[in-house]
Amino acid sequence: MTSLDASLRRTIYDACLTRGVVLSIAELSVATAAPSADVRAALARLASSRVIVLQPGSGEILMAPPFSAVPTPFRVETSHHAVYANCAWDAFGVPIMLREPARVEAACGCCGEAIQLPVSPDGPPSADGVMHFAVPAARWWDDLVFT
Amino acid sequence: MLLFRNEEHVDRWCRQWQMPAGAIMAPPQAWHLAKAWFSADRGAPEWQRPPVAAVEALFGSLELTAPFWRLR
Repeated sequence: MTSLDASLRRTIYDACLTRGVVLSIAELSVATAAPSADVRAALARLASSRVIVLQPGSGEILMAPPFSAVPTPFRVETSHHAVYANCAWDAFGVPIMLREPARVEAACGCCGEAIQLPVSPDGPPSADGVMHFAVPAARWWDDLVFT
Repeated sequence: MLLFRNEEHVDRWCRQWQMPAGAIMAPPQAWHLAKAWFSADRGAPEWQRPPVAAVEALFGSLELTAPFWRLR
């Protein structure tokens, strides 16, 4: 890992944690004072080491787990901002990573009925509902968008 | 990984999409998994993805020992 890789990782997660946003290549270039080509190359290295997931066409960040750069069915609302998580597991991860309580707003994968779960970083929720992992763990990285 | 109202809705979804049933987890167990996975500061210079053996140990500690959870 190069110093730019490490700097980008810090910058990416700082933005997620403090502002609830996943930065673009242009924003990362400004934040790190690195040419966008270097940022792209560094993001590709971070993706190949499975730190982040990139959007297939643009090379922009798609996932900085547990945060999603694009809207998903897993909205997580904290006292400061609302973010999108990549999946149900990641939705639980957001308040844990932020170290503050949050409300997960999702929908039943089957019928679409709203599911709202208060999730604390300090203890498991006592909530109804179940999480379903559709793909065996060994194949998650075949397509992290569908697990 | 999706959320469902209950296991019956998971079964319906699997039938609808002709998917084999995967692994079902209640919110408390999912929270423990997320707690172990996301507590670290991923922006810290020293952070690294845990090696496979460590992930397997984590799964084992949460009694996720079925073949579904094997990583290799």
